[in-house]
Amino acid sequence: MKKPWAVAAVVVAVIFSVLFLFGPNPAGAFNNEATLYLAQATQATDDQQSDAAKEDADDAEDADDDYDDDDEYADTEDVKLIPDPWIEMNQGIYVFNDKMYFWVLKPVARGYGFIIPIELRQGIRNAFYNIRFPVRFINCLLQGKFRKSGYEFGQFFINTTAGCLGLLTPAANYPHLQTSPEDLGQTFAVWGFGSGAYLMLPFFGPSSLRAGMGRLGDTFLDPIWWLFDDIWVSLGIRAGETVNDTSLRIGEYEALKEAALDPYVMIRNAWVQNRNKLIAE
Amino acid sequence: MNRRYTRALLIFAVLLIIPLQSYAATPKETVETGVNNIIGTLTDPAFKAKSKDAQITQLGDVISQIFDFEELSKRTLGREWKKMNAEQQKEFVPLFKELLQGVYADRLLAYSDQKIIFDKETMLKKGSAEVQSFLQTSDGKKIPLFYRLTDKSGSWKVYDVIIEGVSMVKNYRTQFREILAKDSAEKLLQILRDKVGKG
Repeated sequence: MKKPWAVAAVVVAVIFSVLFLFGPNPAGAFNNEATLYLAQATQATDDQQSDAAKEDADDAEDADDDYDDDDEYADTEDVKLIPDPWIEMNQGIYVFNDKMYFWVLKPVARGYGFIIPIELRQGIRNAFYNIRFPVRFINCLLQGKFRKSGYEFGQFFINTTAGCLGLLTPAANYPHLQTSPEDLGQTFAVWGFGSGAYLMLPFFGPSSLRAGMGRLGDTFLDPIWWLFDDIWVSLGIRAGETVNDTSLRIGEYEALKEAALDPYVMIRNAWVQNRNKLIAE
Repeated sequence: MNRRYTRALLIFAVLLIIPLQSYAATPKETVETGVNNIIGTLTDPAFKAKSKDAQITQLGDVISQIFDFEELSKRTLGREWKKMNAEQQKEFVPLFKELLQGVYADRLLAYSDQKIIFDKETMLKKGSAEVQSFLQTSDGKKIPLFYRLTDKSGSWKVYDVIIEGVSMVKNYRTQFREILAKDSAEKLLQILRDKVGKG
Protein backbone atom coordinates (compact mmCIF):
# COMPACT_ATOMS: atom_id res chain seq x y z
CA MET A 1 0.00 0.00 0.00
CA LYS A 2 2.71 2.41 0.99
CA LYS A 3 5.29 1.31 -1.55
CA PRO A 4 6.37 4.00 -4.01
CA TRP A 5 5.28 2.05 -7.07
CA ALA A 6 1.81 1.63 -5.61
CA VAL A 7 1.57 5.36 -5.01
CA ALA A 8 2.77 6.06 -8.52
CA ALA A 9 0.24 3.58 -9.92
CA VAL A 10 -2.61 5.27 -8.05
CA VAL A 11 -1.56 8.72 -9.24
CA VAL A 12 -1.33 7.50 -12.83
CA ALA A 13 -4.70 5.76 -12.47
CA VAL A 14 -6.28 8.95 -11.14
CA ILE A 15 -4.82 10.99 -13.98
CA PHE A 16 -6.02 8.55 -16.61
CA SER A 17 -9.47 8.25 -15.13
CA VAL A 18 -9.72 12.04 -15.20
CA LEU A 19 -8.55 12.01 -18.81
CA PHE A 20 -11.10 9.37 -19.61
CA LEU A 21 -13.93 11.06 -17.76
CA PHE A 22 -13.55 14.60 -18.99
CA GLY A 23 -11.13 14.67 -21.87
CA PRO A 24 -8.91 17.68 -22.43
CA ASN A 25 -10.74 20.94 -22.88
CA PRO A 26 -9.45 22.66 -26.03
CA ALA A 27 -10.43 26.08 -24.69
CA GLY A 28 -7.79 25.74 -22.00
CA ALA A 29 -8.07 26.04 -18.28
CA PHE A 30 -8.19 29.79 -18.17
CA ASN A 31 -11.16 30.15 -20.41
CA ASN A 32 -13.44 27.25 -19.65
CA GLU A 33 -16.35 29.52 -18.91
CA ALA A 34 -17.56 29.18 -22.47
CA THR A 35 -18.09 25.47 -22.00
CA LEU A 36 -19.85 26.09 -18.74
CA TYR A 37 -22.19 28.55 -20.36
CA LEU A 38 -22.95 26.03 -23.05
CA ALA A 39 -23.59 23.46 -20.36
CA GLN A 40 -25.97 25.90 -18.78
CA ALA A 41 -27.61 26.54 -22.11
CA THR A 42 -28.35 22.87 -22.60
CA GLN A 43 -29.78 22.64 -19.12
CA ALA A 44 -31.89 25.75 -19.24
CA THR A 45 -35.54 24.97 -19.67
CA ASP A 46 -37.10 28.13 -21.02
CA ASP A 47 -36.06 29.38 -24.42
CA GLN A 48 -35.28 32.91 -23.45
CA GLN A 49 -32.82 31.77 -20.85
CA SER A 50 -31.02 29.40 -23.15
CA ASP A 51 -30.74 32.04 -25.86
CA ALA A 52 -29.22 34.46 -23.42
CA ALA A 53 -26.81 31.82 -22.23
CA LYS A 54 -25.69 31.11 -25.78
CA GLU A 55 -25.05 34.78 -26.34
CA ASP A 56 -23.01 34.85 -23.17
CA ALA A 57 -21.03 31.87 -24.36
CA ASP A 58 -20.18 33.75 -27.54
CA ASP A 59 -19.19 36.79 -25.56
CA ALA A 60 -17.09 34.83 -23.13
CA GLU A 61 -14.78 33.68 -25.88
CA ASP A 62 -13.50 37.07 -26.92
CA ALA A 63 -13.90 38.94 -23.66
CA ASP A 64 -11.82 37.63 -20.82
CA ASP A 65 -12.37 40.67 -18.69
CA ASP A 66 -15.84 41.00 -17.23
CA TYR A 67 -16.16 44.61 -18.20
CA ASP A 68 -14.72 44.37 -21.67
CA ASP A 69 -18.04 44.55 -23.36
CA ASP A 70 -20.33 47.03 -25.02
CA ASP A 71 -23.24 46.14 -22.84
CA GLU A 72 -22.88 47.89 -19.55
CA TYR A 73 -24.10 45.00 -17.45
CA ALA A 74 -22.70 42.27 -19.62
CA ASP A 75 -20.88 40.92 -16.61
CA THR A 76 -24.12 40.42 -14.79
CA GLU A 77 -25.08 37.27 -16.63
CA ASP A 78 -22.50 34.76 -15.44
CA VAL A 79 -24.74 33.13 -12.94
CA LYS A 80 -24.00 29.45 -12.81
CA LEU A 81 -20.30 28.76 -13.09
CA ILE A 82 -20.51 25.03 -12.54
CA PRO A 83 -23.04 22.37 -13.52
CA ASP A 84 -24.78 20.81 -10.55
CA PRO A 85 -26.70 17.77 -11.82
CA TRP A 86 -26.59 15.96 -8.46
CA ILE A 87 -28.06 18.86 -6.55
CA GLU A 88 -30.40 16.73 -4.40
CA MET A 89 -27.58 14.50 -3.20
CA ASN A 90 -25.29 17.50 -2.73
CA GLN A 91 -27.87 19.37 -0.70
CA GLY A 92 -28.36 16.29 1.46
CA ILE A 93 -24.61 16.09 2.12
CA TYR A 94 -24.54 19.81 2.80
CA VAL A 95 -27.20 19.40 5.49
CA PHE A 96 -25.16 16.54 6.95
CA ASN A 97 -21.97 18.66 6.99
CA ASP A 98 -23.88 21.56 8.52
CA LYS A 99 -25.21 19.36 11.34
CA MET A 100 -21.78 17.79 11.84
CA TYR A 101 -20.33 21.26 12.25
CA PHE A 102 -22.84 22.50 14.80
CA TRP A 103 -23.32 19.26 16.73
CA VAL A 104 -19.83 17.74 16.73
CA LEU A 105 -17.01 19.80 15.29
CA LYS A 106 -17.84 23.17 16.80
CA PRO A 107 -18.33 21.98 20.41
CA VAL A 108 -15.17 19.87 20.23
CA ALA A 109 -13.17 22.74 18.69
CA ARG A 110 -14.55 25.13 21.34
CA GLY A 111 -13.42 22.86 24.17
CA TYR A 112 -10.07 22.34 22.53
CA GLY A 113 -9.63 26.08 22.01
CA PHE A 114 -10.51 26.65 25.64
CA ILE A 115 -7.62 24.43 26.77
CA ILE A 116 -4.94 25.19 24.18
CA PRO A 117 -3.70 28.79 23.89
CA ILE A 118 -4.27 30.48 20.54
CA GLU A 119 -0.55 30.96 19.82
CA LEU A 120 0.03 27.22 20.00
CA ARG A 121 -3.01 26.51 17.82
CA GLN A 122 -1.72 28.93 15.19
CA GLY A 123 1.66 27.25 15.44
CA ILE A 124 0.10 23.84 14.86
CA ARG A 125 -1.79 25.16 11.85
CA ASN A 126 1.43 26.62 10.47
CA ALA A 127 3.30 23.35 11.02
CA PHE A 128 0.65 21.40 9.12
CA TYR A 129 0.88 23.87 6.27
CA ASN A 130 4.65 23.51 6.30
CA ILE A 131 4.69 19.72 6.29
CA ARG A 132 2.38 19.65 3.25
CA PHE A 133 5.08 21.45 1.26
CA PRO A 134 5.61 18.45 -1.08
CA VAL A 135 2.00 18.67 -2.31
CA ARG A 136 2.36 22.33 -3.28
CA PHE A 137 5.92 21.95 -4.58
CA ILE A 138 5.21 18.97 -6.83
CA ASN A 139 2.05 20.58 -8.20
CA CYS A 140 4.02 23.73 -9.03
CA LEU A 141 6.40 21.56 -11.02
CA LEU A 142 3.57 19.63 -12.69
CA GLN A 143 2.15 22.97 -13.84
CA GLY A 144 5.52 24.20 -15.05
CA LYS A 145 5.56 27.01 -12.49
CA PHE A 146 9.24 26.74 -11.69
CA ARG A 147 9.66 30.18 -10.18
CA LYS A 148 6.76 29.53 -7.84
CA SER A 149 8.20 26.16 -6.87
CA GLY A 150 11.37 28.02 -5.93
CA TYR A 151 9.37 30.35 -3.68
CA GLU A 152 7.65 27.36 -2.11
CA PHE A 153 11.01 25.77 -1.44
CA GLY A 154 12.38 28.99 0.03
CA GLN A 155 9.38 29.32 2.31
CA PHE A 156 9.66 25.69 3.41
CA PHE A 157 13.40 25.98 4.04
CA ILE A 158 13.14 29.15 6.12
CA ASN A 159 10.11 28.03 8.13
CA THR A 160 11.53 24.56 8.78
CA THR A 161 14.90 25.82 9.98
CA ALA A 162 14.40 29.27 11.50
CA GLY A 163 10.73 28.60 12.24
CA CYS A 164 11.15 25.43 14.36
CA LEU A 165 9.71 22.90 11.87
CA GLY A 166 7.16 25.39 10.64
CA LEU A 167 5.55 26.27 13.97
CA LEU A 168 6.57 29.86 13.30
CA THR A 169 6.47 31.64 9.96
CA PRO A 170 9.62 33.77 9.65
CA ALA A 171 9.24 33.48 5.86
CA ALA A 172 6.26 35.83 6.17
CA ASN A 173 8.85 38.63 6.33
CA TYR A 174 9.54 37.97 2.65
CA PRO A 175 6.27 38.84 0.91
CA HIS A 176 7.29 37.45 -2.46
CA LEU A 177 7.64 33.99 -0.91
CA GLN A 178 3.95 34.03 0.02
CA THR A 179 2.34 32.15 -2.81
CA SER A 180 -1.15 30.79 -3.28
CA PRO A 181 -1.16 27.04 -2.66
CA GLU A 182 -1.19 24.70 -5.65
CA ASP A 183 -2.92 21.33 -5.62
CA LEU A 184 -3.62 18.52 -8.05
CA GLY A 185 -7.12 19.78 -8.86
CA GLN A 186 -5.55 23.02 -10.06
CA THR A 187 -2.93 21.06 -11.98
CA PHE A 188 -5.69 19.19 -13.82
CA ALA A 189 -7.32 22.54 -14.63
CA VAL A 190 -4.05 23.93 -15.99
CA TRP A 191 -3.66 20.80 -18.09
CA GLY A 192 -6.99 21.61 -19.67
CA PHE A 193 -9.53 19.33 -17.99
CA GLY A 194 -13.01 20.66 -17.42
CA SER A 195 -14.23 21.01 -13.86
CA GLY A 196 -16.89 18.34 -14.11
CA ALA A 197 -19.97 18.44 -11.94
CA TYR A 198 -20.18 20.15 -8.58
CA LEU A 199 -19.75 17.73 -5.73
CA MET A 200 -20.40 18.25 -2.04
CA LEU A 201 -18.16 15.86 -0.15
CA PRO A 202 -19.07 14.64 3.32
CA PHE A 203 -16.65 16.14 5.90
CA PHE A 204 -14.55 17.92 3.24
CA GLY A 205 -17.18 20.30 1.88
CA PRO A 206 -17.55 21.81 -1.58
CA SER A 207 -15.64 20.25 -4.45
CA SER A 208 -16.00 19.18 -8.05
CA LEU A 209 -15.23 15.96 -9.87
CA ARG A 210 -11.92 17.46 -10.94
CA ALA A 211 -11.05 18.89 -7.52
CA GLY A 212 -12.22 15.69 -5.81
CA MET A 213 -9.94 13.55 -7.98
CA GLY A 214 -7.15 16.01 -7.27
CA ARG A 215 -7.77 15.73 -3.55
CA LEU A 216 -7.54 11.95 -3.77
CA GLY A 217 -4.28 12.16 -5.72
CA ASP A 218 -2.83 14.76 -3.36
CA THR A 219 -3.32 12.39 -0.45
CA PHE A 220 -0.47 10.32 -1.83
CA LEU A 221 1.84 13.33 -1.98
CA ASP A 222 0.92 14.26 1.59
CA PRO A 223 3.58 13.32 4.18
CA ILE A 224 0.84 12.82 6.79
CA TRP A 225 -0.25 9.89 4.67
CA TRP A 226 3.06 8.22 3.86
CA LEU A 227 4.96 8.99 7.09
CA PHE A 228 2.73 6.63 9.06
CA ASP A 229 2.13 2.99 8.28
CA ASP A 230 -1.16 2.79 10.11
CA ILE A 231 -4.02 4.41 8.21
CA TRP A 232 -5.84 5.14 11.48
CA VAL A 233 -2.91 7.19 12.72
CA SER A 234 -3.05 9.29 9.53
CA LEU A 235 -6.80 9.71 9.85
CA GLY A 236 -6.49 10.59 13.53
CA ILE A 237 -3.91 13.26 12.75
CA ARG A 238 -6.18 14.66 10.02
CA ALA A 239 -9.11 14.79 12.44
CA GLY A 240 -6.94 16.57 14.98
CA GLU A 241 -5.87 19.04 12.33
CA THR A 242 -9.49 19.74 11.44
CA VAL A 243 -10.35 20.44 15.07
CA ASN A 244 -7.32 22.72 15.39
CA ASP A 245 -8.20 24.66 12.23
CA THR A 246 -11.86 24.95 13.18
CA SER A 247 -10.98 26.33 16.61
CA LEU A 248 -9.31 29.26 14.82
CA ARG A 249 -12.26 29.87 12.50
CA ILE A 250 -15.30 29.67 14.75
CA GLY A 251 -17.79 32.30 13.70
CA GLU A 252 -16.80 32.43 10.04
CA TYR A 253 -19.25 29.81 8.84
CA GLU A 254 -21.97 31.22 11.07
CA ALA A 255 -21.49 34.70 9.57
CA LEU A 256 -21.56 33.26 6.07
CA LYS A 257 -24.82 31.49 6.77
CA GLU A 258 -26.27 34.62 8.32
CA ALA A 259 -25.41 36.64 5.22
CA ALA A 260 -26.91 34.14 2.80
CA LEU A 261 -30.39 33.92 1.40
CA ASP A 262 -29.61 30.38 0.32
CA PRO A 263 -26.45 29.06 2.04
CA TYR A 264 -26.11 26.09 -0.31
CA VAL A 265 -26.11 28.31 -3.40
CA MET A 266 -23.88 30.88 -1.72
CA ILE A 267 -21.25 28.30 -0.81
CA ARG A 268 -21.31 26.71 -4.25
CA ASN A 269 -20.79 30.05 -5.97
CA ALA A 270 -18.16 31.29 -3.52
CA TRP A 271 -16.25 28.04 -3.81
CA VAL A 272 -16.18 28.18 -7.62
CA GLN A 273 -15.17 31.86 -7.68
CA ASN A 274 -12.35 31.22 -5.21
CA ARG A 275 -11.27 28.10 -7.08
CA ASN A 276 -11.12 29.96 -10.39
CA LYS A 277 -8.88 32.54 -8.80
CA LEU A 278 -6.55 29.88 -7.40
CA ILE A 279 -6.37 28.16 -10.79
CA ALA A 280 -5.52 31.45 -12.50
CA GLU A 281 -2.67 32.10 -10.06
CA MET B 1 -13.01 97.66 -18.92
CA ASN B 2 -15.52 95.11 -19.87
CA ARG B 3 -12.79 92.95 -21.25
CA ARG B 4 -10.85 93.11 -18.04
CA TYR B 5 -13.87 91.93 -16.16
CA THR B 6 -14.27 89.10 -18.56
CA ARG B 7 -10.68 88.12 -18.07
CA ALA B 8 -10.96 88.38 -14.32
CA LEU B 9 -14.07 86.32 -14.45
CA LEU B 10 -12.31 83.76 -16.61
CA ILE B 11 -9.39 83.54 -14.23
CA PHE B 12 -11.76 83.26 -11.38
CA ALA B 13 -13.63 80.51 -13.14
CA VAL B 14 -10.40 78.67 -13.87
CA LEU B 15 -9.29 79.03 -10.28
CA LEU B 16 -12.61 77.66 -9.20
CA ILE B 17 -12.30 74.63 -11.42
CA ILE B 18 -8.72 73.71 -10.49
CA PRO B 19 -9.28 73.06 -6.81
CA LEU B 20 -12.51 71.27 -7.62
CA GLN B 21 -10.68 68.88 -9.89
CA SER B 22 -7.87 68.26 -7.51
CA TYR B 23 -10.32 67.65 -4.69
CA ALA B 24 -12.23 65.00 -6.59
CA ALA B 25 -10.77 61.99 -4.80
CA THR B 26 -9.26 59.15 -6.83
CA PRO B 27 -10.73 55.67 -6.34
CA LYS B 28 -7.85 54.71 -4.09
CA GLU B 29 -8.27 57.81 -1.94
CA THR B 30 -11.98 57.14 -1.65
CA VAL B 31 -11.42 53.60 -0.43
CA GLU B 32 -8.58 54.60 1.87
CA THR B 33 -10.58 57.40 3.48
CA GLY B 34 -13.61 55.16 3.82
CA VAL B 35 -11.71 52.26 5.35
CA ASN B 36 -9.80 54.56 7.68
CA ASN B 37 -13.10 56.09 8.76
CA ILE B 38 -14.42 52.64 9.55
CA ILE B 39 -11.30 51.71 11.52
CA GLY B 40 -11.40 55.09 13.27
CA THR B 41 -14.99 54.43 14.29
CA LEU B 42 -14.22 50.91 15.47
CA THR B 43 -11.32 51.99 17.66
CA ASP B 44 -13.13 55.01 19.11
CA PRO B 45 -13.69 54.48 22.87
CA ALA B 46 -17.07 56.26 22.70
CA PHE B 47 -18.13 53.79 20.01
CA LYS B 48 -17.04 50.79 22.05
CA ALA B 49 -19.26 51.90 24.93
CA LYS B 50 -22.41 51.80 22.77
CA SER B 51 -24.87 48.94 22.51
CA LYS B 52 -24.41 46.49 19.69
CA ASP B 53 -27.48 47.71 17.79
CA ALA B 54 -26.28 51.31 17.97
CA GLN B 55 -22.84 50.19 16.84
CA ILE B 56 -24.26 48.41 13.80
CA THR B 57 -26.36 51.47 12.88
CA GLN B 58 -23.39 53.79 13.18
CA LEU B 59 -21.11 51.50 11.20
CA GLY B 60 -23.81 51.20 8.55
CA ASP B 61 -23.78 54.97 8.14
CA VAL B 62 -19.99 55.04 7.75
CA ILE B 63 -20.12 52.19 5.23
CA SER B 64 -22.87 53.80 3.16
CA GLN B 65 -20.72 56.90 2.64
CA ILE B 66 -18.46 55.03 0.24
CA PHE B 67 -20.97 52.61 -1.31
CA ASP B 68 -23.29 53.17 -4.24
CA PHE B 69 -26.09 50.82 -3.25
CA GLU B 70 -28.25 51.55 -6.26
CA GLU B 71 -25.46 50.61 -8.65
CA LEU B 72 -24.71 47.59 -6.49
CA SER B 73 -28.36 46.48 -6.62
CA LYS B 74 -28.58 46.96 -10.37
CA ARG B 75 -25.45 44.96 -10.97
CA THR B 76 -26.50 42.22 -8.63
CA LEU B 77 -29.89 41.79 -10.25
CA GLY B 78 -28.59 42.33 -13.80
CA ARG B 79 -31.31 41.63 -16.30
CA GLU B 80 -33.82 40.95 -13.53
CA TRP B 81 -33.57 44.60 -12.48
CA LYS B 82 -35.33 45.72 -15.64
CA LYS B 83 -38.06 43.16 -15.08
CA MET B 84 -38.96 44.66 -11.74
CA ASN B 85 -41.42 47.55 -11.62
CA ALA B 86 -40.37 50.93 -10.26
CA GLU B 87 -41.93 50.29 -6.87
CA GLN B 88 -40.18 46.98 -6.44
CA GLN B 89 -36.87 48.57 -7.46
CA LYS B 90 -37.42 51.31 -4.95
CA GLU B 91 -38.04 48.85 -2.16
CA PHE B 92 -35.24 46.51 -3.17
CA VAL B 93 -32.32 48.96 -2.84
CA PRO B 94 -32.76 49.90 0.84
CA LEU B 95 -33.60 46.30 1.80
CA PHE B 96 -30.48 44.94 0.18
CA LYS B 97 -28.49 47.81 1.65
CA GLU B 98 -29.71 46.94 5.11
CA LEU B 99 -28.89 43.27 4.68
CA LEU B 100 -25.34 44.00 3.54
CA GLN B 101 -24.73 46.67 6.16
CA GLY B 102 -25.87 44.31 8.90
CA VAL B 103 -23.66 41.51 7.65
CA TYR B 104 -20.58 43.63 7.18
CA ALA B 105 -20.98 45.64 10.35
CA ASP B 106 -21.21 42.37 12.24
CA ARG B 107 -18.01 41.09 10.64
CA LEU B 108 -16.27 44.41 11.24
CA LEU B 109 -17.05 44.25 14.93
CA ALA B 110 -14.91 41.10 15.02
CA TYR B 111 -12.04 43.17 13.62
CA SER B 112 -9.09 43.26 15.98
CA ASP B 113 -5.63 44.46 15.11
CA GLN B 114 -5.33 43.33 11.52
CA LYS B 115 -3.45 45.72 9.31
CA ILE B 116 -4.87 46.94 6.02
CA ILE B 117 -2.39 47.49 3.23
CA PHE B 118 -3.54 49.57 0.26
CA ASP B 119 -2.02 48.52 -2.99
CA LYS B 120 -2.52 49.64 -6.56
CA GLU B 121 -5.53 51.08 -8.31
CA THR B 122 -6.45 49.96 -11.82
CA MET B 123 -8.79 51.72 -14.19
CA LEU B 124 -11.25 49.35 -15.80
CA LYS B 125 -13.40 50.18 -18.76
CA LYS B 126 -16.18 52.76 -18.71
CA GLY B 127 -15.76 54.76 -15.54
CA SER B 128 -15.02 51.88 -13.24
CA ALA B 129 -11.90 51.16 -11.25
CA GLU B 130 -10.48 48.51 -8.99
CA VAL B 131 -8.58 49.23 -5.79
CA GLN B 132 -6.57 46.38 -4.33
CA SER B 133 -5.96 46.08 -0.63
CA PHE B 134 -4.78 43.33 1.66
CA LEU B 135 -5.83 42.44 5.15
CA GLN B 136 -2.81 41.27 7.08
CA THR B 137 -3.60 38.91 9.95
CA SER B 138 -1.50 38.62 13.09
CA ASP B 139 0.38 35.59 11.78
CA GLY B 140 1.47 37.31 8.59
CA LYS B 141 -1.18 35.93 6.22
CA LYS B 142 -2.42 38.34 3.56
CA ILE B 143 -6.06 38.20 2.55
CA PRO B 144 -6.77 40.01 -0.74
CA LEU B 145 -9.64 42.47 -0.49
CA PHE B 146 -10.44 44.24 -3.75
CA TYR B 147 -12.94 47.03 -4.27
CA ARG B 148 -14.70 47.86 -7.52
CA LEU B 149 -15.76 51.47 -7.93
CA THR B 150 -17.83 53.51 -10.34
CA ASP B 151 -18.01 57.28 -10.83
CA LYS B 152 -21.58 57.26 -12.10
CA SER B 153 -22.89 59.34 -9.22
CA GLY B 154 -20.25 62.04 -9.82
CA SER B 155 -17.73 60.77 -7.30
CA TRP B 156 -16.15 57.37 -6.90
CA LYS B 157 -18.33 54.92 -5.02
CA VAL B 158 -17.85 51.23 -4.29
CA TYR B 159 -20.23 48.80 -5.99
CA ASP B 160 -18.52 45.48 -5.32
CA VAL B 161 -16.13 43.91 -2.83
CA ILE B 162 -14.05 40.94 -3.91
CA ILE B 163 -12.59 38.88 -1.09
CA GLU B 164 -10.14 36.13 -2.07
CA GLY B 165 -11.52 36.17 -5.58
CA VAL B 166 -15.15 35.94 -4.45
CA SER B 167 -17.21 38.84 -5.73
CA MET B 168 -20.03 39.78 -3.39
CA VAL B 169 -22.18 41.01 -6.28
CA LYS B 170 -21.74 37.82 -8.26
CA ASN B 171 -22.40 35.71 -5.21
CA TYR B 172 -25.70 37.39 -4.37
CA ARG B 173 -26.64 37.41 -8.03
CA THR B 174 -26.53 33.62 -8.09
CA GLN B 175 -28.73 33.43 -5.04
CA PHE B 176 -31.24 35.96 -6.40
CA ARG B 177 -31.39 34.15 -9.72
CA GLU B 178 -32.04 30.85 -8.02
CA ILE B 179 -34.98 32.41 -6.18
CA LEU B 180 -36.30 34.32 -9.20
CA ALA B 181 -36.12 31.20 -11.36
CA LYS B 182 -38.84 29.67 -9.21
CA ASP B 183 -40.60 32.63 -7.64
CA SER B 184 -41.69 36.18 -8.35
CA ALA B 185 -39.86 39.39 -7.52
CA GLU B 186 -42.43 39.90 -4.77
CA LYS B 187 -41.30 36.66 -3.13
CA LEU B 188 -37.66 37.78 -3.31
CA LEU B 189 -38.59 41.04 -1.60
CA GLN B 190 -40.47 39.07 1.05
CA ILE B 191 -37.40 36.91 1.72
CA LEU B 192 -35.29 40.06 2.04
CA ARG B 193 -37.83 41.67 4.37
CA ASP B 194 -37.80 38.59 6.59
CA LYS B 195 -34.02 38.52 6.54
CA VAL B 196 -33.60 42.09 7.74
CA GLY B 197 -36.45 41.72 10.17
CA LYS B 198 -39.15 43.80 8.49
CA GLY B 199 -41.82 41.21 7.99
